[in-house]
Amino acid sequence: MKNLLTATAMLMGLTAMAQAEGELQLYNWGDYTSPELLAKFEAETGIKVTVTDYDSNDTALAKIEAGGSGFDLVVPSANYVPIYVEKGLVQELDLSKIPHHGNIAPEWMNVDYDPGRKFSIPWQWGTTGIGMNKTLYAGDINTSAIWLDPPAEVAGKINVTPEMNDVLAMATMYLGGQPCSEDAELMKKVRDKLLEAKPKWVSMDYGMTEKMSSNDVKATVYWNGAMFRSRLANPDVSFGLPREGFPIFMDQVMLLSDAKNVEEAYKFLDFIALPENAALISAFARYGNGIAGSEEFMPADMKDAPEIVIPEELKSKGVFLKTCTGKAQDYITAIWTELQK
Amino acid sequence: MARPISHLPGFTPIAMAVFAALYLPLVILVFYSFNAGEDLAHWEGFGLHWFAKAWENDQVKDSTIRSLWLAAVAAVISTVVATMAALGTTRRARFKGQTFIYVMINQPLMVPEIVTAVALLIFFAWFKVTLGYQGMGYLVLAHSAFCIPFAYLPIRARLESMDLTLETAAADLYATPFATFRRVTFPLLLPGILAGMMLAFVTSLDDVVITVFVKSAGQDTLPTYMLGQIRRQVSTEVYAISTMLLGLTVVMLVAFMALTRKKD
Repeated sequence: MKNLLTATAMLMGLTAMAQAEGELQLYNWGDYTSPELLAKFEAETGIKVTVTDYDSNDTALAKIEAGGSGFDLVVPSANYVPIYVEKGLVQELDLSKIPHHGNIAPEWMNVDYDPGRKFSIPWQWGTTGIGMNKTLYAGDINTSAIWLDPPAEVAGKINVTPEMNDVLAMATMYLGGQPCSEDAELMKKVRDKLLEAKPKWVSMDYGMTEKMSSNDVKATVYWNGAMFRSRLANPDVSFGLPREGFPIFMDQVMLLSDAKNVEEAYKFLDFIALPENAALISAFARYGNGIAGSEEFMPADMKDAPEIVIPEELKSKGVFLKTCTGKAQDYITAIWTELQK
Repeated sequence: MARPISHLPGFTPIAMAVFAALYLPLVILVFYSFNAGEDLAHWEGFGLHWFAKAWENDQVKDSTIRSLWLAAVAAVISTVVATMAALGTTRRARFKGQTFIYVMINQPLMVPEIVTAVALLIFFAWFKVTLGYQGMGYLVLAHSAFCIPFAYLPIRARLESMDLTLETAAADLYATPFATFRRVTFPLLLPGILAGMMLAFVTSLDDVVITVFVKSAGQDTLPTYMLGQIRRQVSTEVYAISTMLLGLTVVMLVAFMALTRKKD
């Protein structure tokens, strides 16, 4: 037993020594970090970035909250940013160390969950909208009527993403309310509308990137980046954003309070605020990035992709989804449960 | 006389359905991992393109090496511990509390994995903060612990099928307890030990839940890396990695069966 302990202790010692200098630990969503970006960063600064994956905001938060996670940077979604700030898990950024902070596009600078971007640097953003095969329906798809009051061509053919918050927010906005509404009268209408529309949906499923590409499904409520990839494979796919209101998600990089490689982290944060580098992030995962002027450096097929560039007249209709609380959350869960039956 | 169960009506269709549910998805996965095309759902001819792509991916390479290393270390540690435990619980007269010890050793089989994972997250976080050490040691300890019952069960089964005659004979001939173990018990037990080690290796290789909660920065294993890929899009690359992982598991299991096969 003593030998076993010694062996384990030696093992621990060995791996501890393996920690090199000039490194940075990035904790990010899987399949979300461009290897080219990291290679370029290492070539310019000599700092080696190690990426560790997570698959949900909750997993990431739980690990960081437990302490001693060993990460320097994390990439939470918008609705999780205030949670990290309130719990003191992240530090306020010293903007003097991020000289290119001003490159953040004006519409992404003063977001309500982090006004002035004092805690976070944009990573990528996306929208939830309508993916439509033009051979199925050629009319206006910039409306939630497509899935809540489907035209005859679309009825019985459309898929709806099984994301509770997106679906409820879009339905509430379609009926004139705001996400997380506590208005019982309105939420009853939302419920009735969803239950009335559900028989006209073919499924509530993920995996639509492939299914829209292959014409197995011809209409869906889904994310812009996914529909962009579908269109590249199948030119008949188009993407619309409901003018009644559509959800926007954004993931951003934050500096952890117990980060060990703080200087390296600041270098990385400034690095991704440069348009040419932000463009690399977008080129990899196919979502927009929030840095002004990055379009110029994006791949040719992305620069003016209708999925990535929100039309001017619809810009004001995008809404960051918050985590609803109290009564609003109870309504949403109750409606969702009923909808899943 | 009762008919054997395999002759009861309905046995064949039920067995077929069970095997289909178990193996059909795997067959489809392996089949599509050899797809030449970019698209997951449409067969465009045979190709090894995705295997090459997976192997060129540094993250895949790093996490594969890490997984194999971790599984090997955890398998060795848990097998050593399990062998000692098996000897301690079988090579002696029945004692009070034997069942209790038995349950304690096999705890990882009974306690839901997520409970162990959360407990370890909180427990290890305390050490990570106080000691400042965030290396692979935590994963090694966690994996070794939950692999113990998988190594223990085949070793114990083997010990129970070996009667005490030879060991008693060795003792009669003035062999020390250690010499008896080294010359008699250990060689006879070796197939059980190797089988246990292989089961432990495969168990560690496949683990997701505990690893996700225990891993520190830069410690993705192959399964946690694959889980991370799924949020955006399941790619054929993940199919190819799954096929390789499946291949390795099958090899280990075949070896396991060869070792535990009863001599006819």
